[in-house]
Amino acid sequence: MSNGARVRRLVAVTGVATLALAGCSSGGTSSSDTATGDGGSGGESVALEFQQWWEPELPDGAFRGLMDKFEEENPGITVELLSGPYSSTKEQVVAGAAAGTMADVVGLDGAWVSDFAKQGAIADLSSIMKDVGYDDSQLASQVQVGGATYMIPVVNFVYPMFTNDALLEKAGVSAPPSTRTEFADAAKKITALDDNTYGWVLPLSLEAPNGVQNDVMSWTWASGGSMLKDGQPALTDNPAVTGTVDYIQGLWDDGVIAPGSFTMKEQDKVEEFTNGRVGMMIDSLAHVNTIREANPDLTFSISAIPAEDGYAGERGIPYASWGIGVAANSAHPAEAFKLIEFLMSESTNSELSSIAHAFPGNTEAVPDFVKDDELFGAAFDIYKAGYPANEFTGLPVAEQLMRDFGEQFQKALDGQQSMQDALTAAQKAWEAEF
Amino acid sequence: MTTLATPGRTASGVPLRPQPKHTGKKVAVIAGLVVGACFAALPVLWMLASSFKQNSEIFAYPPRLITQGFSFDAYTTILTDPTKLRFFLNSYVVALSVTLLTLLVAVHAAYAFSRYEFWGKKTINVIVVSVQAVPPITLLIPYFGLVVVLKLYNTYQGLILTYMVFTLPYAIIMMTGYFNTLPRELDEAVKMDGAGPLTALWRILLPISIPGMVSVGIYTFMIAWNEFLFALTLTRTEDMRTVPIGIQLLMGQHSYEWNEMMAMSILGAVPVLVLFLFFQRYFIGGMTAGAVKI
Amino acid sequence: MSTSQTSPRAATPTVTEPAARRARSRARLRRRLTPYGFLSPTGVLLIVLMATPIVMVVGYSLMDQVITNKNPAFVGFDNYAEVLSDPVFYTAVRNTLVFTISSVIAHFAIGLGFALMLNSPYLSNRTKAGFRMLYILPWLFTVAIIAVLWRLLLNPNGVINYILGSTGLTDGRTEWLSGTGTALAAVTFINIWSGYPFFMISLLAGLQGIPRDLYEAAKVDGAGVWAQFRNVTLPQLRPIIISMALLDFIWTTQQFALIWMTTGGGPINVTEVLSTFTYKLAFTQYEFSVASASAVLVLLMSMVLAFFYVRHQKARD
Repeated sequence: MSNGARVRRLVAVTGVATLALAGCSSGGTSSSDTATGDGGSGGESVALEFQQWWEPELPDGAFRGLMDKFEEENPGITVELLSGPYSSTKEQVVAGAAAGTMADVVGLDGAWVSDFAKQGAIADLSSIMKDVGYDDSQLASQVQVGGATYMIPVVNFVYPMFTNDALLEKAGVSAPPSTRTEFADAAKKITALDDNTYGWVLPLSLEAPNGVQNDVMSWTWASGGSMLKDGQPALTDNPAVTGTVDYIQGLWDDGVIAPGSFTMKEQDKVEEFTNGRVGMMIDSLAHVNTIREANPDLTFSISAIPAEDGYAGERGIPYASWGIGVAANSAHPAEAFKLIEFLMSESTNSELSSIAHAFPGNTEAVPDFVKDDELFGAAFDIYKAGYPANEFTGLPVAEQLMRDFGEQFQKALDGQQSMQDALTAAQKAWEAEF
Repeated sequence: MTTLATPGRTASGVPLRPQPKHTGKKVAVIAGLVVGACFAALPVLWMLASSFKQNSEIFAYPPRLITQGFSFDAYTTILTDPTKLRFFLNSYVVALSVTLLTLLVAVHAAYAFSRYEFWGKKTINVIVVSVQAVPPITLLIPYFGLVVVLKLYNTYQGLILTYMVFTLPYAIIMMTGYFNTLPRELDEAVKMDGAGPLTALWRILLPISIPGMVSVGIYTFMIAWNEFLFALTLTRTEDMRTVPIGIQLLMGQHSYEWNEMMAMSILGAVPVLVLFLFFQRYFIGGMTAGAVKI
Repeated sequence: MSTSQTSPRAATPTVTEPAARRARSRARLRRRLTPYGFLSPTGVLLIVLMATPIVMVVGYSLMDQVITNKNPAFVGFDNYAEVLSDPVFYTAVRNTLVFTISSVIAHFAIGLGFALMLNSPYLSNRTKAGFRMLYILPWLFTVAIIAVLWRLLLNPNGVINYILGSTGLTDGRTEWLSGTGTALAAVTFINIWSGYPFFMISLLAGLQGIPRDLYEAAKVDGAGVWAQFRNVTLPQLRPIIISMALLDFIWTTQQFALIWMTTGGGPINVTEVLSTFTYKLAFTQYEFSVASASAVLVLLMSMVLAFFYVRHQKARD
């Protein structure tokens, strides 16, 4: 072989390799063309992207069914569902916003809203609503940042108290506790039943720190208290918060809390309850069916979270939402809002609430299960009697606030500092974030 | 070092004729191996057992290996769900392409490192080694932006090229080490006959480097098969997702599908195990040379 | 290893002088360019997909409020100062070192132990192949599932506590992952379990490559099993051990998902490592500039390691 041929062959091979790389980068663009949602420039047909974690949480095909109905009602708009795992939805939205590839419509958690709004990732819904002339009187709530709405809660999962009826009865507790003293007393009795039964379960994982919101702060809200004052953190010099943490410290010292708290997550909490190892927990209604399916023999009831002794006011009930927002860089905000309108309409919202076993974001909507199911009916009454309370919603770096608090709280429970010091330290950390 | 270039030939693969005085030692070694196997395999056995349980029994106390609710439901659910099967297909396509392309690119680079002296060799070498020290999570956002700009978002190519970036440095290091153990006279002899370096590489070095390539290939395959973070970020639609994402999708906001998660990861592991079984003869031999003379 | 590569063909005397010189210089040029040709695909890939994002991260680390702010300002080394003045950063460095060093040592010890047993001459090949399959099992699973599995096993009501409790070794109540005293040890243990097979396989390969006659010679000198191990096995494996230990060190310092999904860096911050520290900065506090500074610091530390690695490699050449 001549030298020239050799060189040519060398060039050819490296060339092929480079071409393979180059070819890779030019290929497959078809699917990313719609990434920014600018599908139909002619206005003929609009392809909306809807990024959420809801589809995998619902029965197979149920959410797609709703979307098909929307497409039927709105010819010219198609919806592509982009579903991801809940635990990494937030990173995906952040990265998508940074790269300008965010889906037109995104599922949101109240804890993220403030940050996404500040990043300029999600659009101001107030102005869109004004533009399209939407009457927002049917919306149960709107999450606002700086006076403008950025998220609309589509359905809400409230967190009442679950009690294991059989365990309570065995422990000689006749009715679910309604005050803190009754709760502590019941917890002690249940724990005394045997070696591996505990009164309460408290998930404080720092990976998913929402236990601080649902299982700790909920006590404050249930007694009408607040962790904020004029929108600023008020953890210190606040009897409502001090009362809560001291109360939980008391339960901890009594040994009535199931072991493993410091890394426990919501999913683990439910398993402890389902297996009859804890008598009481504060938990999402989303779990009612999970528990029934997993342990059909377990009888349990739902009641309001116990309040301070003698408190007679309305009880705040914590909730988590499936919220919805529109990408700031969406090319089709009007169409995107049509989808939101559809999801918030009385009939769709009822249907979605029914399949998700959640409470509707539309004030008029009444999900089927409230009428058909005793437990949900009871929960709905509690919900109506109290007020939905989740002070973390709409706060800046809400998840970090929970984590800051959780860390200090763990330290105090672990005996490394006093509860008072924990609150002072958490207050300092929170002030730095505001 | 060159003596190590022919592993297996001097290896202890052939068992010594058992002598009576060895019985004690044999028993001791087997006992040790069994203890070790417990450490290695019992957690996996638990995973297997859990995949046959009902979700409610996963947390039962006292824990039981085999439960009353024993069933193949989790497997049936996965194997009859076209979406999930698509995850497996995607994982295969991506992992196999990454493996083949990594090898193709790496052997050329390794050949340059092994057989040539050139300006900047040491610097390039330091770079190739140190890029694997970059924690991938820190690169996520700029990397994602780059992939979008290159129009690689939500494509197989995007995933394949990304994993190649992860696997290439190690593959090059290992293949360079492997080539270094092969005598230079081999390719010099071919070149004497007027053949170019490519001929030397493809006709002479590669055929005798199959063990090294198999070992690097399996490592590469594992990385691509199990990666989660970039697989999630760089894909968007369900038809592009891979198995690790499929597993994570079973970890819901409120509850986990424990048994399906376990079943899915068992299903994912079986083909890899078969692959290992098939290639392990090469694999065991191949690692030596590369690792010894990195 | 000799590196001179003079081509014997260049001295062919049948060509006329200037033409020969031209041919020679062309050949030399080609020869000089050939390795770059071979390296070009790697180079393109690493520069485009690796160097670019790294440079961008370095850029972020010198700016204020990147990502969240459309017009970030240049702030010099402020972000570095912020990271270095955070006491949690030093906790994270310490935990990372404890986690990494124990993991690497254990990977080595367990890997070598298993490799020696799997290489035992007293067993049939089939038995060894069977055990080999069992021993690589931990390698086959994605991190998410390893984390979930071990959370189940180490649950206070999990099977490990059950076994320990019913055999009377402990009271069966240990909160492995959520106890401040045990959490770091527990995640390290999980990492050891999931990471030793790669080490083991490499050492096994190395063992099989040690020439039998070295052992024979040692035996003739009257060396016992331990002396053979010390004087033959270890020195022969040394290059593999050092390379693997360095690579493993680099890989283990990056471990993120396993720790995040088992403990989230907690309880309190006893399992906070550099990767979880950086992640929290970026994705829960949205301080991407500070997170980038932290990432660059991690990168610099890793580069020191990479430097030692390359020096070790050069020393051997």
